[in-house]
Amino acid sequence: MVLQYEVEQFLYREAALLDDRRFAEWLALIDDDIHYWMPIRRTVTVENLRLEYAKADGMAYFDDDKADLRMRVEKLQSNSAWSENPPSRTRHLVSNVRILEVKGDEIALEAAIHLYRSRLNDKIDNWIGKRRDRLRRVDGDFRIFERHIFLDQTVVLSTNFSSLF
Amino acid sequence: MPDHVQTNPTGAEAEDIQIPDVSGGLIDRAVYADPKLYRLELRRIFARAWNFMCHETQIPDAGDYFINYIGEDQVIVVRGEDGAVRVLLNTCRHRGNALCRAELGNTRTFVCSYHGWTYGLDGKLIGIPGKADFYRDAIDQDKSGLVQAAKVDHYRGFYFATLDPGAPSLFDYLGDVGRVGMESMLNHGDVVALDGVQKNVIDCNWKIAVDNLFDWYHVKVSHNSASRVGFLNQAAMMPMTQMVMLGELGHAIGGPMVTQEEQARLDALSDEERLAIDALPDAERLKVTPTMRRPLRSSATKEAMGPVGVRATGHPNIFPNLWISTRGMQLSLRLPRGPGRTEIWWFTVMPKSFTDQQRRAAKKFITHAFGPAGLLEQDDGENWSQSTMSSLGVASRRHPHNMQMAMGQDEVLVDPSGQKAIETRVNEHAQRWTYRCWAEWLRARDWPELMATRSSSPTGRL
Repeated sequence: MVLQYEVEQFLYREAALLDDRRFAEWLALIDDDIHYWMPIRRTVTVENLRLEYAKADGMAYFDDDKADLRMRVEKLQSNSAWSENPPSRTRHLVSNVRILEVKGDEIALEAAIHLYRSRLNDKIDNWIGKRRDRLRRVDGDFRIFERHIFLDQTVVLSTNFSSLF
Repeated sequence: MPDHVQTNPTGAEAEDIQIPDVSGGLIDRAVYADPKLYRLELRRIFARAWNFMCHETQIPDAGDYFINYIGEDQVIVVRGEDGAVRVLLNTCRHRGNALCRAELGNTRTFVCSYHGWTYGLDGKLIGIPGKADFYRDAIDQDKSGLVQAAKVDHYRGFYFATLDPGAPSLFDYLGDVGRVGMESMLNHGDVVALDGVQKNVIDCNWKIAVDNLFDWYHVKVSHNSASRVGFLNQAAMMPMTQMVMLGELGHAIGGPMVTQEEQARLDALSDEERLAIDALPDAERLKVTPTMRRPLRSSATKEAMGPVGVRATGHPNIFPNLWISTRGMQLSLRLPRGPGRTEIWWFTVMPKSFTDQQRRAAKKFITHAFGPAGLLEQDDGENWSQSTMSSLGVASRRHPHNMQMAMGQDEVLVDPSGQKAIETRVNEHAQRWTYRCWAEWLRARDWPELMATRSSSPTGRL
């Protein structure tokens, strides 16, 4: 129960950092061996569900390590990242948090996410899906060392992904 | 070709549409917004052209299928029991329902989810529920197969289809410039498609997404943030030397080039030496490579691309909407979804000869460049969207887009081989060529008229 509470509070704090555009502080919660990945999802028949996600050695929307995420954060902080200037307004909702496994200092969890983006005056994006995170305890806090994002959209109905999940 | 398939309807509707004059490099904004022009594009460009479908390795086995579009017609690209690839309209001959609702997969038949009409992989109608009981056998099953593309062909494994039986062969359609573009993907021999096509939707006219691929002017500003964080090397992306090749029917290549001096140094290296240089880490490679451009093309590639084409390392567009990108490892379709909406698809192919390490390194670069999360592409979509939306304003519409950069200031050089190119700085020649050919496609009522009226690849001052 305590662990569940701790993990949830951590995820809410992390979400707030992204929504408040405190990207450097967010990056500090990411461990050096992070794998940040969003595979391509596809509409398939029930018979072909094994093809629903593109293979791990295939293409993905995100397939980032720490250096890649640092680059994304630096880009977000520059005034010439036009996709984020004017900045989007985002709200990261995290729910249905389930701890799947605890192994020593490492915790595997699954959560439902809803990332809402309001862009300019008339653009709205809703990205809903499931996130599989792996956290480890470091210095009395958590660090994320794996984040796999599984969106419920197949064709991405958005101009871009300029937000972090 | 069954008589009920109208590939070139030339009804009155088409006759009274004003096709803007784009010859002076000024583009009427109606081009990006007029629904009538858009309908005409679907009929006279997409339903007539050779459209890219997929790579053969995406559908290796009998029953494998991949869904694509020809204009707004959805098609099933499917490999039959006989190994042949067919392109079938994804619409039941009974009530028009989509037979296939998945993006890809494997199947033995296509069964309509409305009334159960069942088609084979070759498109033949093989089952009608209630044929005896309800139709009382008064239905001609043989005449109700799925509508097939008029022609399907491939270029070294890259499949294309056209709905128009009057279209020239794929080889002739591509012409020299189109083939140079295709060969840029085959430098290391045969390729294999990586699993996964990135797809996203941008609220822009498809042509703005197309003409942007020739636009090396926007790189410095649009992609400033990607440069500042070290993803993009501006010096390599925007050199003062650029080459443009303009092909008949609207194909073009525009962007950086290998100079004659660099090519001479490259020619002096063996193919093994070229491979070894490309395998070096970036910083090491720069010290020894005869050119910054990647990959170093082989002697066989030079043979295939020609002495001028081999030096063109910019972006080819196979008219109308296929961009060959990212060092010849990606193809991007700009699929029209109405005048103000475009679906962007990214296919990725890599040489079969690549080691795992080479594949991983290339994949990393590709994933971070393009697609909706790409550090480059992130910043393109909103520009295209706003450029499209402004076309709706009455006052804005009175002022055309300006595509006059370097107009009348360059010379087309004709090589002894017959290949033609402009060697210049950043320019808008390829954009102007694209719109000039676009207007020719729209004016011509059928393939014979298009072939008789289309511009030849230009020579002289341009």
